[in-house]
Amino acid sequence: MSMPSIPSRAEHLEAWRESGGKVCAAFPAQYPKELLWAHGVLPVEVWDPPLAATRAPGHLQPYICSVVRQGLELLLAGAGDSVDLILFPHTCDSLQNLASLVGDYLKPAAPSLFFYNPKAPFKAPAREFYLDQLHALDRQLAGLFGPRAQGALEQALEWSRALAALHAKAYKMRALGELAAGAGEFYAVLRAGEYLHPTALIPLLEGWLAQSAGSASAGERIVLSGVLPGPPDLLESLDVLGLVVGNDDLLSMSRRLLTSPPGTGEPLAALGEVFLHMPPCSTRGSSLEERLAWIKGLAGQSKSKGVVFVEVKFCEPELFDLPELRRGLKEAGLPSLVLEVDVNQAAGGQAATRLEAFREMMA
Amino acid sequence: MSYYAGIDVGSLSSDAVIVDAAGGIKGWAVTETGAHSTNAASAALDKALERAGLRPDQVAYTVATGYGRAAVPQAGKKVTEITCHALGAYTLFPEVGTVVDIGGQDSKVIRLGENGKVVDFVMNDKCAAGTGRFLEVMAAKLGVTLDDLGRLSLGAEGEVAISSVCTVFAESEVVSLVAKNQPIPQIIKGLHRAVVNRVAAMTGTTGVREQVIMSGGVAKNAGVVKLMAERLGVEISVPDEPQIVGALGAALLAAREDAV
Repeated sequence: MSMPSIPSRAEHLEAWRESGGKVCAAFPAQYPKELLWAHGVLPVEVWDPPLAATRAPGHLQPYICSVVRQGLELLLAGAGDSVDLILFPHTCDSLQNLASLVGDYLKPAAPSLFFYNPKAPFKAPAREFYLDQLHALDRQLAGLFGPRAQGALEQALEWSRALAALHAKAYKMRALGELAAGAGEFYAVLRAGEYLHPTALIPLLEGWLAQSAGSASAGERIVLSGVLPGPPDLLESLDVLGLVVGNDDLLSMSRRLLTSPPGTGEPLAALGEVFLHMPPCSTRGSSLEERLAWIKGLAGQSKSKGVVFVEVKFCEPELFDLPELRRGLKEAGLPSLVLEVDVNQAAGGQAATRLEAFREMMA
Repeated sequence: MSYYAGIDVGSLSSDAVIVDAAGGIKGWAVTETGAHSTNAASAALDKALERAGLRPDQVAYTVATGYGRAAVPQAGKKVTEITCHALGAYTLFPEVGTVVDIGGQDSKVIRLGENGKVVDFVMNDKCAAGTGRFLEVMAAKLGVTLDDLGRLSLGAEGEVAISSVCTVFAESEVVSLVAKNQPIPQIIKGLHRAVVNRVAAMTGTTGVREQVIMSGGVAKNAGVVKLMAERLGVEISVPDEPQIVGALGAALLAAREDAV
């Protein structure tokens, strides 16, 4: 199946601006994008901007992850002066520190907002805290861009439900081997959601899913875990080597894309339920037991025989639990492989060899 | 009678092994890889064939392994060095539980199950720390040959601690130690310790199951083997020709492939 035509980030942004829309540079990972849509703001996510890191390394310790480094590089290149807002969710300490540095020293033209996510377990105080955060962000956005139009949040929630359903359909088709798309294509299409407005993303996903129904390639099935799917050469290696991603446990993907807001209740409260019901995640303080059970379940659903952790180097939340996670998976008969990558750098031949050896080991 | 070839194209050496249908080694060769993987693979194969007294057309099937495996046109199949080292070691040592392979460009620890199947493995990171290249650079800086490193370190009276396993930083450290007239054998032992600590740390992921085998060019360095045995708290066995373990595994896979 051929790759669908996906508008580039630059094209989409230009068209959005020409229509009078506002733009928010949204740092990873979980934030209420529906609220931004409702205020007429397009969130454009900053995971791995394709820039040579020339200035940021001078400001950061060498052990800071490349997601933060590339994000700072983008801001140092002036991106903070060309957007209408910068949003920093409190995903990890490194991103939190970046938010402080930007606010204290860089002082870009666009206002910076923090968004604090509660950590698990999500009992009543966490729910209350999160709802307060949503209300505060709603007020801040109204202060910056004016009050949201009547019914705008309800519309945003409708888009969110439609997208969650489409994402869930894509994941289900893939898990059942009914999606004729390799890893490179799958993640290229889904990552378009990092910048496309729902009015563009929904038809893209609908068309792609309709065209991609079919048998998946034969090969050893795996679960991909980590932050991002991996550099393009790594995804290409998976396809070439006959390693088929049956499911994933990726922060940028299934840990946040599949959860749908409930169809009833006050809109902001419904939005709050999205975050509180996302799958277990290292950045949300989920327990090791929850994460282990979740990944084992993903493997079971997709008949995957192993787990490949594609970890961004120095990602503290992800790496801390890794030894115990791998031990638990091994006890469950699921071998695992760890690949460390820097965003925007090719994974290289060694990673391909490890993947190939992992496939041989599982065969 | 059919014969089978395995070719292991590594960063420093290219190795070839010829086996018969029963898996018996008929000939082998270790050559320098140099700047051209395809030529190096051909040279290794030619030499192994010559030693076996065979012609190229008597080789029924060839499997290539090693980082340069994609550049071996003779190969009907390419298999990773993990699988090949495991099979080669299992054939030479049927009780093997762990293979520690330190090659020129990378090092790896392979855990084998009871049946010789790979159950886990770990390879070093994208740098020369803990590899043969690290020792090669240090030997050049100290003005000794690679072959002398083991003998010199075993005779060392004491040891100088090397704080870095980064090849670049360790090289600077060695220069400083030489400038202070530290005995060369003690420096070498410290360098060996740095390599061993780096590679032994990799067993934290895989665990160690005896019998432990060391393969790769660095296994010829008795000083590293001794320190590795001490560090892991096990006896370590070394094949007579540790550099051809991967090529042997590839040749055995070639024989299996032809039998299918």
